[in-house]
Amino acid sequence: MTRRRNQLLLIAFVLTSVVFSYAQEKITGLQVIQNVYDRPEGNDMQSELTMTLINSRGDQRVREIKQFIKDMGKVEKKIMFFMAPADVRNTSFMNWSYTEKGRDDDQWIYLPALKKVKRISSDSKSDYFMGSDFTYDDLGDRQPTDDRHKILREEKLSGEDCYVVESMPKDEDYMYSKTITWIIKDKWIGLKKEFYDEDGDHLKTLTVKKYEKIKGYWIIEASEMKNVQKNHTTTMSLKNIKIDSGISTNKFTERMMKRGIK
Amino acid sequence: MEKLLKRVLEYPKTVLVVILLISVAFTAIMKKNTRMETNLDKYMPEQHPAFVYSNQAEEWFDIKDGIIIAIENKDGIYNSGTLQKVKDLTKKLQKMKEIEKTDVTSLYTADNIVGTEDGMDVKAFFKRVPKDSAKLADLREKVRSNEMVFGRIVSTDETVTVIIARIGDDVFSQDFYHRILDISKEYEGPEKVYVAGRPIVEGTMAYLGPRDMKRMVPIVLLVILLVLYLVLRNVKSTLFTLFVVVFSTIWAFGLMAAVNIPIYAVSTMLPVMLIAIGVADGIHLYSHLYMFLKEHPNATRQEAVHDMLHEMWRPVVMTSVTTAVGFISLLTSQVYPIKYFGIFTAFGVMMAMVFSLVFIPATLLVFGLPHLKKKIKTEEDDEDDKTDHLAYRFAEGVLKYKNVIYALTFIVVVISAWGMAKVWINSSFLEKFEKDSDIVLTDSFINSHFGGTSTLNVVLEGKSGDTFKQPAALEAIVEMQDDVVKKLPVVGNSFSLGDYLKRMNKVMHADSERYDAIPDNQDLIAQYLLLYEMSGDPDNLWQVVTEDYKKANVTFQLKSDNSKALNSAIAIIEEYRPKFEQAGIQVNYAGSGYKALVFTDLILEGQITSLILSLLIIVVLLSFMFKKLSIGLIGSVPIVITALIGLA
Repeated sequence: MTRRRNQLLLIAFVLTSVVFSYAQEKITGLQVIQNVYDRPEGNDMQSELTMTLINSRGDQRVREIKQFIKDMGKVEKKIMFFMAPADVRNTSFMNWSYTEKGRDDDQWIYLPALKKVKRISSDSKSDYFMGSDFTYDDLGDRQPTDDRHKILREEKLSGEDCYVVESMPKDEDYMYSKTITWIIKDKWIGLKKEFYDEDGDHLKTLTVKKYEKIKGYWIIEASEMKNVQKNHTTTMSLKNIKIDSGISTNKFTERMMKRGIK
Repeated sequence: MEKLLKRVLEYPKTVLVVILLISVAFTAIMKKNTRMETNLDKYMPEQHPAFVYSNQAEEWFDIKDGIIIAIENKDGIYNSGTLQKVKDLTKKLQKMKEIEKTDVTSLYTADNIVGTEDGMDVKAFFKRVPKDSAKLADLREKVRSNEMVFGRIVSTDETVTVIIARIGDDVFSQDFYHRILDISKEYEGPEKVYVAGRPIVEGTMAYLGPRDMKRMVPIVLLVILLVLYLVLRNVKSTLFTLFVVVFSTIWAFGLMAAVNIPIYAVSTMLPVMLIAIGVADGIHLYSHLYMFLKEHPNATRQEAVHDMLHEMWRPVVMTSVTTAVGFISLLTSQVYPIKYFGIFTAFGVMMAMVFSLVFIPATLLVFGLPHLKKKIKTEEDDEDDKTDHLAYRFAEGVLKYKNVIYALTFIVVVISAWGMAKVWINSSFLEKFEKDSDIVLTDSFINSHFGGTSTLNVVLEGKSGDTFKQPAALEAIVEMQDDVVKKLPVVGNSFSLGDYLKRMNKVMHADSERYDAIPDNQDLIAQYLLLYEMSGDPDNLWQVVTEDYKKANVTFQLKSDNSKALNSAIAIIEEYRPKFEQAGIQVNYAGSGYKALVFTDLILEGQITSLILSLLIIVVLLSFMFKKLSIGLIGSVPIVITALIGLA
C-alpha cells in the first residue's frame, strides 16, 4: 500500500517538475527576436534624420534628411530627401522593400543636377546604408528566421532588465558570424547589439541612446553604430517624429521624388 | 703609450683571460639580444619632412603596397576553370590573417559600375563562376567595356588577370611569403601563377642580404686563414691574427646588442671591414717580429715583444685611428643604419687596434715566440727557402714602404666602403637582383601586361573642404594624369577620383562616350559621389580622396622602380605645380617608391659630406703625425683620387 502511494507521489513529483521546467523556459531566443521584429511602430512615420559619420581622425560629416515611411503590408515604402549638405540638397532616394522572401528591394534615386530619376541596384558586398556603418540588415531588414537564436543570460543594462540573445546565421557566407543583442524585456527594444565578423572578431557595436513612447509605440530616436575595427562611427537621430499622420500612398512616386522638399 | 703597453703586458695571462671573458660576455649578450632588421621602413629617417609627410598621406588614403598575383592562361582567362581559380585564390587570400578582407582586389571582388537603360548598377562581375559560353562571353564584354578594370585587373590581351592583396608595412615575413607562394603553387596548371610586387621584392632582399653574409663568412674566414698562413708560415701566428679579427667583430656586434640596436643590412659589412684592418695589423706585427728574430736569434720573449711594440705601435695606431675617423664621419649621414655602421665599425677598428697591441704580444709572452727561425736553419729545403725568402722580402718591403702600405690599406678600405654604398645608391630594389632571377622575370612579365608594379602617389591638398568636388580641380588632375601616361612609356596607368567621376558620368548618360569626362558642375559631382556612396563601397573612394574632399591622392603605376623612371614622372608632374598652386592646391609625393627615392638622395648626399669631412680630418691627423702639412696633403691625394673616380 505504502509502496504504491510512494510510486504515485513520485510520478506526481516528476510530472510537476516537468511542468515547472516548461513554465520557466517560457520564452525562446527566436521568440524574443521575433517580438522585437514584430514590435508595432505604427503604419506610417515621418521624421527628420540627422546622420553623422565620424572617421578615425574624428572628422565629421553631417547629413540631414527628411524621410517618410509607410507600411503597406506586403511592401514597405520609404522616401528620403536630402536637406544638407547644400550641394546634394533635394537629392532624393526611394526604397520599396518587400516581405516576399528572396525579392530584392526596388530603389530609385533622383539627382537634381541631372534632373533625372534613375533606378539603382546594388549587390555589392557592402550593402552599407549610404556609406554609414549601418547595413540595411542592421536597420531592421533581417528576418528572424534567417538566424538561430539562443538566450545566453538575463542581465540589467542601463537600468533595464534584458535578455541577452546570441544569433548565428544559417547561411555560412553571411557577413557576420554572430551577433549578441541585449533586449529590454517588457519593451522589446534591442538596447545594444554586438556584431562579430566572419573570423569571429568583434566588428561593430550598436548602442541605442534614446527611445521614447510616441502614440503608444516605442520608437528609437537616437542610436550609434561604432565599427571598432575601422574606428569609424555613425550616429543617427530623429526629430519632429510624426506617427500615423496618414501619409498618402501617392507620396512614394517618381514625381514626388522630383518635386523635392520646399 | 709604449709605457702603458709595457705595463699592461707585465700581466700577460691576466690580459688574455680578461679579453676572453669579455668576449664570452658579449657573445652571451649577442645570443640574447641580437635581431636582424628586415623591415626596410626602419632604415628610413622617419623625422625627415618627406618621410613624415609620406607616412601621413599613407594613413589618410590607406596607401599600402600590394602583393600582385598574376594568373596566366595562354588560351585566355574566360573559361570556368581559370575563373574558379581566381575566385578560390581570392577567398583564400582574404582568409589569411595578415590580409584584411577588403584589401584583396580581383575580378571576383571588383565593383562593376554599369549603366542600364533606366539607371545605374554597381555589381560584382561574377559571383558564381559562369559555366556556359554565353555567360562567359557576357563577362568578357562587361570587362572590356569597363576602363576601370580592363588593362588594370585583366590584361588587354585577356590572357592574364591579377589578384592584388594590399598589406601593411609590418606584415611581411619570410613565413608569410612562403605561405603565399605555396598557396599560389596549388593553383598552377594549366594556368601559370606569378607572385610579384614591392613587398615581395623588399622582403626577399631583406632576407637574401643576411643569408649571403652567412654564406660568405665561413668562406672569407677560410681564405684569410689560407692567406695568413702563406704569409706568416706559422699556425700560431695565423690563429692569433684571426682571433684579433674574431674578437673585434664579437665586441662590435656585442656592443650593438647590448645597446639594443638591431643588425641592419649595411651592418653585415662590418666583419669585412674588421678583417681588412685586423689582418693588416697582424701581418705588420708578425713580419716585424720575424725580421727581429732573424737578426737576433737568441732574443728572449720580452726583448722581441718590446722591440715589436717600440717599432710598431705608432704605425698601428696611426692606421687604426685614421680608419676609425673615416668611419666616424659616416655620422653625418641622415640615415640611421649608416650612422650605426660608422660608429660600430669605428669601435671595432679601435678594438682591433687594442687587440693587436695587447692581445698579440700577450700571446707571444704566454705561448712563446714562433719557431720559424729554427725551421729555416734545420730544413734546407729549396722550395721552403724560396718561399721564406719571399716572406722575408715581403716583410722587409712592408717595413721599408710602410707609409705606402698604410695608404694602400686605407685606399682598399675606402674603396670597399664606397662599393658598399653604391649598392644603395639606386633607389631601385629590383635592380639589385640578378637579371634572370625569378623575381625580376615575374616583375617584367607583369609589367608587360599591366600598368606597372611600382607606384608613385601624388598627394594634392586644397585649402578648404570640398576642393575636390570642383570641376576645375578635377579636370586639372585628369589632364595631368593623361599627360604623364601619354608622354612616358614607363608609366602604364594612373588612377584618381577623376576616374570614378568620368565613369559615373558616362554610365548615367547611357554609356555615351561624350560624357566620359568630369561633369561641369559641382552639384552634379557631389550628387554622383553621394550616389556612389549609396551603391558602391565608399572605402574605395577614401583611397583617392579624404572624406572632407580636401585632399586627393593620384596614383601612377610605373613599370620600373628606378630613380630615373620616378624622376621623369615627377618632372612632368612638377609642370602642373604652378597651375595647382594658383588654385590654392599644394602638391606633394608619397608612397614607398618615393620614399626610396628620397632615401637614395640622402645616402648620396651623406656620402659626399662624410667623405669631405673624413678627408679634412685625415689631412690634419697625418700632418700632425708626420709634423708636416705637405705630407698630410700628399697622403690624402690617393683618397681624393679614389673619391673622384667613385663619383665619376
